[in-house]
Amino acid sequence: MEKSICRVFPVRGLVTLVEQLMQKHPVMGPRERADQPGFYKFDWLETPEDFIPEYTTTTLPPKKAFFPPEQTLFRFQSGLPPEFRMIRENFPFVLAGVHPCDLAALDMLDRAYGHPPAESLWHENRRRAVVIAMDCMPDDYCFCTSVGTCDERFPCDLFLTNIGDEYLAEIYSSKGQQILTGVRTRGVRERDLKKAEQQRRLKKEAVSARFNSPVARLAGILEKGGLTDVWKQIAEHCYSCGSCNITCPTCFCFNMHDTFDFTLQGGTRHRSWDSCQLLEFALIAGGENMRAERWQRVRHRWYRKFLYLYRQFGRPYCTGCGRCSRACTADINMVDVTNGLIDGARSEAAGV
Amino acid sequence: MVPDRRPPVYNSLISIPEKISYVPEPAVISRITDLTETEKLFLLKKVNGNLAFSAGQFVQVSVPGYGEAPFSVCSSPLDTDSFEICVRSVGHVSDALHSLSPGDGLGIRGPYGRGFPVEKMKYNDLLVVAGGIGLAPLRSLISYACVHRKYFGRLIVVYGAKTPSSLLFREDLARWESDIGMRVYQIVDEPDNAWKGPTGVLTDPLKEIRIDPQRTVAAVVGPPVVFRFVAMELFNKNLQEDRIYFSLERRFQCGVGKCGHCQLNDMYVCQNGPVFSYAELVGRSEAAEARAPEDE
Repeated sequence: MEKSICRVFPVRGLVTLVEQLMQKHPVMGPRERADQPGFYKFDWLETPEDFIPEYTTTTLPPKKAFFPPEQTLFRFQSGLPPEFRMIRENFPFVLAGVHPCDLAALDMLDRAYGHPPAESLWHENRRRAVVIAMDCMPDDYCFCTSVGTCDERFPCDLFLTNIGDEYLAEIYSSKGQQILTGVRTRGVRERDLKKAEQQRRLKKEAVSARFNSPVARLAGILEKGGLTDVWKQIAEHCYSCGSCNITCPTCFCFNMHDTFDFTLQGGTRHRSWDSCQLLEFALIAGGENMRAERWQRVRHRWYRKFLYLYRQFGRPYCTGCGRCSRACTADINMVDVTNGLIDGARSEAAGV
Repeated sequence: MVPDRRPPVYNSLISIPEKISYVPEPAVISRITDLTETEKLFLLKKVNGNLAFSAGQFVQVSVPGYGEAPFSVCSSPLDTDSFEICVRSVGHVSDALHSLSPGDGLGIRGPYGRGFPVEKMKYNDLLVVAGGIGLAPLRSLISYACVHRKYFGRLIVVYGAKTPSSLLFREDLARWESDIGMRVYQIVDEPDNAWKGPTGVLTDPLKEIRIDPQRTVAAVVGPPVVFRFVAMELFNKNLQEDRIYFSLERRFQCGVGKCGHCQLNDMYVCQNGPVFSYAELVGRSEAAEARAPEDE
């Protein structure tokens, strides 16, 4: 880490920082869920104290700041000819407290939605936001070390690491620098960097779940095909509820639908998150379903994350956040299934 | 549609917008023709500007308040000021379309996708195989071939439908046969008393047709079940994989490779297709793994 991009400020300075940000812009950050104490969500902060720096992985990923579960695309007005008017939020805001794995997801979605022809909605929303990220401690579901996202620093403006009673702030943009002027900081010493290094080592050691093979090898295993028995076994437990997709920070499929005003003269078109695990996802107009079998849909999720998008964009589309495993109603675990596939491929190769 | 006498101005460089916002452009229905009990032909015109497209591309049609659905453009790519889509009422949006009248407004996005590789098809015999409403996108290709008649050898159309009353574009077929010497084979599955043509499936007339595999390209569109059997028949004729083109159907929502609904293994049908050569589909299991829901 470059010493020149770092500053240090006391822990109590964080509240001051959030307070100052809130005076200028709306701030979205991790808050405790009122409906489920002990669980967290990204939401607009009402007071600086709402911000919980030591939060554990939120139920929904912070992608919702840019791509909300339900998003209005445009208004239409019946008439000759009909009118279509784009609808956009345009206030600048701050997204604070993003963990490294969720940063990685933002990078993945930047690539996916930025792939030509790029999508204007995602990029306009991304441009509105300053992103402040912070390091974390893993729980039993996290497996970021297996997918290489544990030290992700891109794309953020400011990255905070707790080093005892102080924060080490890594500055990655002029906006990040600007934010830091709000608190009293000091220059960084060798000792601070050592503490941060120690913190990162502790974090990696605390990650217990891991893939039994490098993630780059998964594409080859999946591409080889077969393993139908393994897929069918998983599908026996799967309810096709789509919770894994809805909580996934890298899933970006969506549906579009219209809503009429009560006057029936105009209305809006929205898009909402969709799930490839639902039966209707690959239905076509003729009535055929391209993935009618549950195991095909289960397989599709792994193919997309570790093979198709990996090949298309150069990184696996899994951040190791473990949200899908936490949310699964049938306790299907991303790491267990992936290791089952790796084992299955090994025994198939050995001719067992 | 009469073969165009104007100088051919075929726009092969279709521009794709740099940034996509999913907001359609207004368009108006100029004419609606009833084709069968379930299919209508819509002539549409964009309010501002033309629609430059290539044969095989599709547009996203919005009926405000009902939603958006993809339709292949089925008119000649040389007529850019207005264009036609053939709509079978099978869903929410297509039902809404059927209830509209000439003069009503719509929204249009597109054209999207990769159409038929007409430049590669030139200087060959063209074998067109259509099942049911699959004739619609192929009508655009045939119209192109009509205007560029001298660049093509034999033109053969094999068209199968369920019943005689569900045959589409009968006038067009008759005119293509008489005006430009196209050989047309029509076959139905369930004949009525008035039907004088052959009865059977698409592959029956295909078996009888002799082709020169070295200088023939095939364009095939139909329901998923058609692809496998037609491909087998074409292989029997020694036609190579890269000389067989399919246009696939999926429920495109965005049309630009974002929404995920049309993923076919590692490809997006809306971006990499909807027209694929057989060679591009070999080894991709989701090209033909479809099963109708009633099989379950």
